[in-house]
Amino acid sequence: MKKYGLYPGCLMPTEQYSYELSLRETLPLLDVELVDIPDFSCCGEPLKSVNKMMTIYLSARNLALAEKHHLDLLVPCPMCHLALSECKRILTRNEEIHEKITVTLESEHLKYTGKTNLFHTVDLLHDVVGVDEIKKHIKTPFKELKTAVHYGCHLLRPTDVGRPVNAENPQKIEAILKAIGLKPYDYAQKLDCCGAPLLVNHPETSLTKTGQKLQAVQTQGFELFVDVCPWCHKMFDSRQTKAGETVATKLQVPVVYLTQLLGVALGADIKKLGFNLNQSPIEKLLLE
Amino acid sequence: MSIRDLTSMAEAQGLQRKEINERLKKLQNDVSDYCFQCAKCTSGCEAHKLLELEPHKIVALLKKGLIDELVNADIIWTCMSCLKCFERCPQNVAPVEILYALKNLAVANGKQIPGQYTAILQSVLSLGLIQDIQTMTTKENITIKRDDLGLPPLSKPVDSATFQTAIMKLALEKI
Ligand code: SF4
Ligand code: SF4
Repeated sequence: MKKYGLYPGCLMPTEQYSYELSLRETLPLLDVELVDIPDFSCCGEPLKSVNKMMTIYLSARNLALAEKHHLDLLVPCPMCHLALSECKRILTRNEEIHEKITVTLESEHLKYTGKTNLFHTVDLLHDVVGVDEIKKHIKTPFKELKTAVHYGCHLLRPTDVGRPVNAENPQKIEAILKAIGLKPYDYAQKLDCCGAPLLVNHPETSLTKTGQKLQAVQTQGFELFVDVCPWCHKMFDSRQTKAGETVATKLQVPVVYLTQLLGVALGADIKKLGFNLNQSPIEKLLLE
Repeated sequence: MSIRDLTSMAEAQGLQRKEINERLKKLQNDVSDYCFQCAKCTSGCEAHKLLELEPHKIVALLKKGLIDELVNADIIWTCMSCLKCFERCPQNVAPVEILYALKNLAVANGKQIPGQYTAILQSVLSLGLIQDIQTMTTKENITIKRDDLGLPPLSKPVDSATFQTAIMKLALEKI
């Protein structure tokens, strides 16, 4: 069994419970064990606009904690994944920052060497477990539903920092969805933002972004919308009705986490995948 | 008043510009001087589509050294950090990073910042996370929290006093 520390971040463990539930339920079915590590903090990404040094420190202390437990990390939130990846990169290339961070880490009895490898849900499933292995475990494949995939900005970009998927033509989630019987199609708005980062200071604009993307998806006849980010999911699922108001459309797009779908296909107990927390109309999906 | 109006009135701040370029070099391979104003960044900018952010103009103003004007402009707080500008710039400039640098400068100079950022900062300092455990409502209208779902305890800083001291110390540091 492969073992990873779970770095939950802030949003998933405090409200996006269906992502966490479905991860914990599904990964063991693929021989992946998740280990809980206490003492983690925010990754720092939400504070980049305030003080980037703080961001780097927060990321570094989480990486140092993982080192203490001798574990690589599964980082299910793309924002956290980018912050931690970028931190590793900056500390490798700049001694001055590295020194400042090291000294401060000592005050928390932590040490950073940079040996922690980072995985997001998508590359863990696609690159480490592998699509062929997933296929072997499928119990109940889906009907061929027309499916739209949303990766999330921070998972896609910037290539310069190193991202788990291709920035302009990502296909890893699609490969997994095909393996479980679904029919993913590309669409023009696939790489567009969910709007979440502006929820803080421009809520109206933020929801319009969400609304515009979902409207495009609905108009193109997609039956299902899949995401892998707690922020994006909060927008597309929890705020779907409100987002619809900004574009004067009644939106009815079933939005689910990739891990929820995978759980169903691998024969996990549906009750344990957090579907009762999805606010979008997913009933049809589960009945079929 | 728009950023453009301000440019005609302003004095250039060469030193601050150098400081920002130094910072960018530390973080990425980014040097704003290489920008040749193709505006590809603005053509894909997520914030440009709904608000009026034009990343290529931000870079142009930085090159002119008009830092104070940029730092004081509300527009720098409209970036959605979609990272398209950085990804697609043919010159490897990262307008998104320039915007982070400008926002950090605004904060360091004690400028008024959007209120929610202060709230997030306070939460991270006191709790270690941007928010505490939320109560969610299920489809059956039942309210639940993470322990009702059998999820393990929330991972957050154990010794919060030491954690806070460490963060506060770094908060005063510039990159
Ligand atoms: S895409 Fe790059 S080179 Fe072109 S205007 Fe934007 S920053 Fe300048
Ligand atoms: S990161 Fe900001 S400036 Fe760059 S394209 Fe996205 S919204 Fe525009």
